[in-house]
Amino acid sequence: MTHDLRLDRLAKTYPNGTAALQELSAEIEAGAFVSLLGPSGCGKSTVLRLIAGLELPSRGSVEWPRGRAALGFIFQEPTLMAWASAAKNVALPLELGGVAEADAGQRARAALDKVGLAGFADALPRELSGGMRMRVSIARALAAEPAVLLMDEPFAALDELTRGKLNDDLLGLWTERRFTGIFVTHSVFEAVYLSQRILILSGRPGHLVADIRNPAPYPREAGYRTSPAFNATARDILSVLEDVST
Amino acid sequence: MRLQLLRIILPVALFAGLIWLWEWSVAYWEIKPFVLPPPSAILAVFETDGPSLLASAWTTLGTTLAAFVLAVISGILLATLFASSRIAEAALSPYAVTLQVTPVVAIAPLIIVWVGLDKAWLAVLILAWIVAFFPVLASATAGLKAVDPNLRDLFRLYHASFWQTFRRLMIPSSLPYLLSGIKTAGGLALVGAVVAEFAAASGNTNGLAWRILEAGNRLQIAKMFAALMLLALMGVILYALLSFIEWLLLHRWHGDRRNT
Ligand SMILES: Nc1ncnc2c1ncn2[C@@H]1O[C@H](COP(=O)(O)OP(=O)(O)O)[C@@H](O)[C@H]1O
Ligand SMILES: [Mg+2]
Repeated sequence: MTHDLRLDRLAKTYPNGTAALQELSAEIEAGAFVSLLGPSGCGKSTVLRLIAGLELPSRGSVEWPRGRAALGFIFQEPTLMAWASAAKNVALPLELGGVAEADAGQRARAALDKVGLAGFADALPRELSGGMRMRVSIARALAAEPAVLLMDEPFAALDELTRGKLNDDLLGLWTERRFTGIFVTHSVFEAVYLSQRILILSGRPGHLVADIRNPAPYPREAGYRTSPAFNATARDILSVLEDVST
Repeated sequence: MRLQLLRIILPVALFAGLIWLWEWSVAYWEIKPFVLPPPSAILAVFETDGPSLLASAWTTLGTTLAAFVLAVISGILLATLFASSRIAEAALSPYAVTLQVTPVVAIAPLIIVWVGLDKAWLAVLILAWIVAFFPVLASATAGLKAVDPNLRDLFRLYHASFWQTFRRLMIPSSLPYLLSGIKTAGGLALVGAVVAEFAAASGNTNGLAWRILEAGNRLQIAKMFAALMLLALMGVILYALLSFIEWLLLHRWHGDRRNT
């Protein structure tokens, strides 16, 4: 078995009656970088929350054939503790997991180094820019070295330039750690750039409409973003999205 | 820097000017001392009745602080219960609200009868607690509810225990709310203590309110003013102290709240 995670006819209806997800089946192999793409409200966040165990499925199941992996979660907002320094925020998952404070602090600083925030370990979130806060959030998710990293539109609130930079950094971190990445986005271009595979969800309640592999070399070569191959994949996806919306 | 100096000098100068104007007007218009005593007469009261006034102030302050501490502890405990159980909140919050909206002056006679006049101090303590308790409960409840749901999820994701979540997430994120409630409670504990002393209207309580009543009955207006000033001073100091504590705890974390 090469896959890490299997979603088996996963469905979710919230207690208030909202049907968020109709039926989703997919297998995600270890070390893959997969995007969940779709318009807002089609249940993408719900899928991540189900995988993370933050919600229970109404039907179907989330299965971990090789045992439940350690998870990291990056939210759309940085979701930092306003009262704690960057290093303290990053150390949180470690400390909650029982790592001694001094040790956790050291590992947190190393994780901040990794995301380019070496000099900001003692800064409070409010002293950092939006992009830097997101980097802290990434460092926190990676500090505990998760096997699976769940990301819920983490860069949606950032400006285009910062977003492009963080996309590249994320690929760099993946190259180094080879975690399984599940990345939710509603940006076609971000999905194409980041992922080896793109699951397109649509409708309310959401369901899978396409499972597209991106054959371009991974991690990305320089200039991929403006290459014909990039455009071709983006065009395929856009046409799928147009088909379902008409 | 000069602006800051002005902010201190101006109020002090204004205060001195007003005192002088008061002293001068009483003399100039020949106002009877039992209508409005001059500042000098009020000051003189502290020479003759200083010890008894200060003893009374001490009593009132003691009641106030005890009621305040009880209010803070019980308010936080109940808010925690509310935050962890919706059923408890639904069942109990109507009583808390009812207690809050019923004027304390109206409840006072009942409490005093129940407790007994010989234990008037206890009645006063209970009444002051009732008044001070609600803002702590309300602000702590609001604070605990304002916790970022994503952060809560993060703690769940990492299997944080209840105490880890409580200590590392609930307390810090509700602190700004809680402290503003605590600040209000400090002032209200004093108000509650004085109102309750008035309602008890007995030498048993021996607080500043009793001194005011006593002096009023004997038409010692200057003494009334002296007691009143002690009360105002106590209120101001209490408020300043709590504001300072709030600043100490918050200025680093919640910099945006520094000026509020
Ligand atoms: N906790 C919840 N309770 C009720 N309805 C919810 C809840 N979370 C999400 N929904 C609803 O479920 C649907 C899918 O939501 P979501 O998974 O957040 O979509 P997406 O992330 O794709 O925008 C939406 O209609 C949303 O309003
Ligand atoms: Mg979403």
